[in-house]
Amino acid sequence: MFVYEKKLQYPIKIKTPNAAMAKFIIAQYGGPSGEAGAAMRYLSQRFVMPYNELKATLTDIGTEELSHLEMVGTIVYQLTKGLSEEELMKQGFSEYFVEHTVGVYPQSAAGDPFTAATLNSKGDLFGDLYEDLGAEQKARVTYDNILRMVDDPDVRDPIKFLREREIVHYQRFAECVRIAQEKMDCRNFYMYNPSFDGVKR
Amino acid sequence: MNAREKLLRKLSAEQFAAWEAGLFLNTHPNNTEALKAHREYVADAAKTRKEYNEAYGMLTHNCPQEGDKWQWVCGPWPWDLD
Repeated sequence: MFVYEKKLQYPIKIKTPNAAMAKFIIAQYGGPSGEAGAAMRYLSQRFVMPYNELKATLTDIGTEELSHLEMVGTIVYQLTKGLSEEELMKQGFSEYFVEHTVGVYPQSAAGDPFTAATLNSKGDLFGDLYEDLGAEQKARVTYDNILRMVDDPDVRDPIKFLREREIVHYQRFAECVRIAQEKMDCRNFYMYNPSFDGVKR
Repeated sequence: MNAREKLLRKLSAEQFAAWEAGLFLNTHPNNTEALKAHREYVADAAKTRKEYNEAYGMLTHNCPQEGDKWQWVCGPWPWDLD
């Protein structure tokens, strides 16, 4: 089950609002490489995983992604808090403002609503694990791209933390692939799908 | 950074160390060094969490609370700027 702890995983205190920045950082809230998608992906894939180490890793990383979702939401919230309509319009925030005011809405940087279309829960051991490796890299790239466009140290600091977590998650999923390969027959890893074949109730 | 924020930061650091050890242990469940490290970090964090709870309020619903007002609804909330 899920329990909420009333703190951020890593502190965020942004002194200077900047709606233009919020416009692209929101990509990691509801975009294709964002934290909402990552959480849904891992928390969904875990059900048919055949091995305990994988169930634990997907559950824990999926949970941590929810904490990251909270962090990105906090960044967007703090970047847009207290700005006037004029300032928001000048910073290119009009289209978002008209639909959401300065509420936090799960969408991509381009404005596409959050969708599960950019994630999969394939129900196949390697299909899922390799998607997860790719997902962590794509998230890392997105944070890299955010860092290329952000100078404010108050914003860079939590973004750098989030970026490093993606790299660590990638490492953990790589270990999951190792574990999966060790448990399978090295003559043919694709001989069968342990997430389905031979699974009894 | 005020005293509450400082204590919360200490707790976050200790919790994070335990969390990292735990993630590593998921794929290395027999690693004795990591097991020992996790034990230590969890003990540290438990102490700090108790300290924070007594001084500043509830971190989860499961925290003990005294007084005649439901402390959970009180701020600050994690995303607040105050």
